[in-house]
Amino acid sequence: MPEAIELRGLTRWYGKRRGVIELEADVHEGEVFGFLGPNGAGKTTTIRMLLGLIRPSGGSARILGMDPWAQAPAVHRQLAHLGSDPGYLGDLDATSLLDYLGALRGLQKGAWRSLAERLELDPTVPVKKLSRGNRQKVGVVSVFMGREPLLVMDEPSTGLDPLMQREFLALVAEARTDGRTVFLSSHNLPEVERACDRVAIIREGRLVKTATVAALVGDHTRSVNLVLGRPAPDAAFAMPGVTVLSSTGQDVHVMVRGDVNPLLRRLGELDVRDIAISTPDVEDLFFRYYEGTVAGSEGRPAAAAGPVIGGEAAR
Amino acid sequence: MTALTFRLELRRSRILAVGLAVVVLVYGGLIAAVYPILLTNTAMIQDYMKLFPKELMAAFGMSGSLADPGIFFTTYIGSFLWPVVAAIGAIALATRPAAADAERGWSDLPLGTPLTRGRYLGAAILCQVVVLAALAFVTVAGVLAVGTLVGAGFDPARFLAAGVVLWLFACAMAGVTSVVAVITLSRGVAASVTAGILIAMYLLNIVAQVQPDFAWLGDLTAFRYAGVGALIDRGAADWVGMGVFTVVAVVGWAASLFLFRRRDLLP
Repeated sequence: MPEAIELRGLTRWYGKRRGVIELEADVHEGEVFGFLGPNGAGKTTTIRMLLGLIRPSGGSARILGMDPWAQAPAVHRQLAHLGSDPGYLGDLDATSLLDYLGALRGLQKGAWRSLAERLELDPTVPVKKLSRGNRQKVGVVSVFMGREPLLVMDEPSTGLDPLMQREFLALVAEARTDGRTVFLSSHNLPEVERACDRVAIIREGRLVKTATVAALVGDHTRSVNLVLGRPAPDAAFAMPGVTVLSSTGQDVHVMVRGDVNPLLRRLGELDVRDIAISTPDVEDLFFRYYEGTVAGSEGRPAAAAGPVIGGEAAR
Repeated sequence: MTALTFRLELRRSRILAVGLAVVVLVYGGLIAAVYPILLTNTAMIQDYMKLFPKELMAAFGMSGSLADPGIFFTTYIGSFLWPVVAAIGAIALATRPAAADAERGWSDLPLGTPLTRGRYLGAAILCQVVVLAALAFVTVAGVLAVGTLVGAGFDPARFLAAGVVLWLFACAMAGVTSVVAVITLSRGVAASVTAGILIAMYLLNIVAQVQPDFAWLGDLTAFRYAGVGALIDRGAADWVGMGVFTVVAVVGWAASLFLFRRRDLLP
């Protein structure tokens, strides 16, 4: 049984400009795979190669065992796609648009109606008069209205309000329950954390990490905030895997990587008044992989970029 | 799938087609309405026309008497209005599927379905053929209809045959525009290239007509083959001209299909 998506050294250059470089990944059938990265990281380039709209400069991509460039129509029978900013024909209403796109996919007229009702989309309004969020609903309806086994989505929930984002996540969950595979490109980190089984993080055209969300989040990294009865000795936290991020004497914030037992034993020797141990979320991890490269552009200073773990940050 | 896309393309062409049709109907009808006045005042008008530089006459295809229906039609429609209308129509339609829709991100949607690139562009080309044919027909039909009302005595068969030449001329423009649009994926560039070629040909045609030493340049211009005066006045069809337009159109569209199936569709 072939993987839903196989990337083998997938590379794309636009002249001398980098698109993506030697991507290696497998997306298993039936899983929700998140593809995380900021604008310009190479997410859309990857998706355009998966759709057979552009050719790789090197390496290969396979969709359900097929070459998306050479076998585009056959591949497109197996997938539904939602782009990041679809250029809908503004004069058409959602009814005409969805019926047209549905007919091209072999669907009956009106196959989208129940989904449109669920997302509270008025299909009679010309698309040019719809708000950004409602236009995005047209795309979400479009991608989920068929029965294709693979859904490829590029920033699908951009512009959706929180209620509709929740509905979108429910649709993704239902797709997974139905055994469909979802490839979800996003920089909406909480969404990826909630929706995906596995995540690949792309940075400057290269995959820097592929792992399950659980593995990423539980990467043996914990944030520990302590309130002490009296200041700890200077060397109290000098142990392997523990980094003191801040200390005001009695308030101490440390990061622990790996086994937490040595730290717990040490804490037993101290006068601990309060303790809060938290698991870093995907957002923290994301910034960890982008540490020092995008802090300014993402509007988040490096010092505030969540848990900082130097070793793996920039491979 | 091709039929669906063709119908959508036709639907998207309605405003353009109706707008241009209104222009050619109103203008053609008005011109046809004054034809009887030209007939009764031929000698005076010819004397008046002699006051104009021959370059201007050449530019508008006025190489005979305006009392002749063919010269009349060529002067006011064939060499003047139609190239402009056909260029607008051909450029707007032929740059749409590969360039404008790629720029706006629409083409990714149908091309992300089982619809092949060939069928997608083929449907759009078929739409160009149909819309340009309709415009050419409306152009001659408007002149014919008003001409009949005012007793101009136009020959319907010859006018309709002239409509075929107008249509082929427009198709040639669309074929060239289409291939440039596929190569550049830019509506602006493709439109500029086609318009530039047409203007250059127009000027070359004038030079060829007023400077005997450069008469050979005329053979390089589309306007040499677009004249319908002899066809309307004497029933003499320019088969070579029609063949040239047909070949240019078919080769342009075929090249578009060939290239579109093989090129990267960059966002």
